[in-house]
Amino acid sequence: MSEAYVPVEAGFGLEEGYLSLEDILMSQERLPCRAETALPRLAAVLGKAGAEPLGSVPEGTKLEIPLWLAKGLYDNKRRVISVELPKIYKESWRTVFTADANVVDLHKLGPFYYGFGSQLLNFDSPENAEIAQTILQTFIGRFRRIMDSSQNAYNEDTSALVARLDELERVLFRVGQKGLNDFQSWEMGQASQITASSLVQNYRKRKFTDLDS
Amino acid sequence: MDPAEVEFLAEQELVTIIPNFSLDRIYLIGGDLGPFNPGLPVEVPLWLAINLKQRQKCRLIAPEWMDVEKLEQIRDQERKEDTFTPMPSPYYMELTKLLLNYAVDNIPKADEIRTLVKDTWDTRIAKLRLSADSFVRQQEAHARLDNLTLMEINTTGAFLTQALDHMYKLRTNLQPGESAQSQDF
Repeated sequence: MSEAYVPVEAGFGLEEGYLSLEDILMSQERLPCRAETALPRLAAVLGKAGAEPLGSVPEGTKLEIPLWLAKGLYDNKRRVISVELPKIYKESWRTVFTADANVVDLHKLGPFYYGFGSQLLNFDSPENAEIAQTILQTFIGRFRRIMDSSQNAYNEDTSALVARLDELERVLFRVGQKGLNDFQSWEMGQASQITASSLVQNYRKRKFTDLDS
Repeated sequence: MDPAEVEFLAEQELVTIIPNFSLDRIYLIGGDLGPFNPGLPVEVPLWLAINLKQRQKCRLIAPEWMDVEKLEQIRDQERKEDTFTPMPSPYYMELTKLLLNYAVDNIPKADEIRTLVKDTWDTRIAKLRLSADSFVRQQEAHARLDNLTLMEINTTGAFLTQALDHMYKLRTNLQPGESAQSQDF
């Protein structure tokens, strides 16, 4: 059945998906950084506005800047900023993830744990290898639960199951649910009933609002 | 793929019917069918069989494997072994559903058959899920899933391929080789 809107998948790796809405949202996430040189005239932009609007950010200031800006400013040779790891990617949290990834509420901590973690590998931190390893192990550890809950919850309220999942895991969960729902409705003979395409339904909706305005 | 599309493919399977009318051989793109003579069994695709049955033009003969004893054997075999056992028909689930829906009066012990096939299906799906989990856990690169039917692949296929896709990307992150270099301007 054709969908009215097929979302562009997240790029999910070192490169972001340019057209992916999810990756755009993900790149808004803030990253703790430190200014390694004075950044003239950027105080207002970076939210550190002092008395004058064209003030500069002095060297050594702690900043919280979005990922897309950090990626632009970060340069191995010129060292404009240095990037610190957000706390969930630090050693202490990595131990938690290794112990049991299933108990962690990734939505509260993330909600873009995997995507953001992969992006962090762009900044050559000495802990890169461990971060990549932990992210992979977390995914593997949580895979079974996502698969089982998405393929078994038929006709149930899934909000409790989904609440603790990362955005990427939610997409997976929805895919699993679609497989289950499609099969169940086929088995019960609902698939042979002809229904209006979702495209047509949306088209009608839009027409009504046009009439109202 | 939609389950309805899988069902469409299953409707090409041949089944035996006993017509109660006479008609010469008919010539279709998919092949010639008939001739139909009252009382003489003839093999036709499932879609035609169902259509004739709905108009009460024929009696359906259940496929050989659609039999309580044979299905019990298949179910027990499926439960005993760790791997997938070969199914009597690549479209066993679809055939059972269609035949039991439209020709329930021509199939003896229809309810038992329905339960048995469903049991076999559940066992196989549980197995599929178990092997998918161990596949991911051990980070294997390839797997052989013999004897899976299209409908079974179809229910978990989209989920599994997407999950493996994500896992592959996470794994390439582990080796910051060429991909990391290209980021450096």
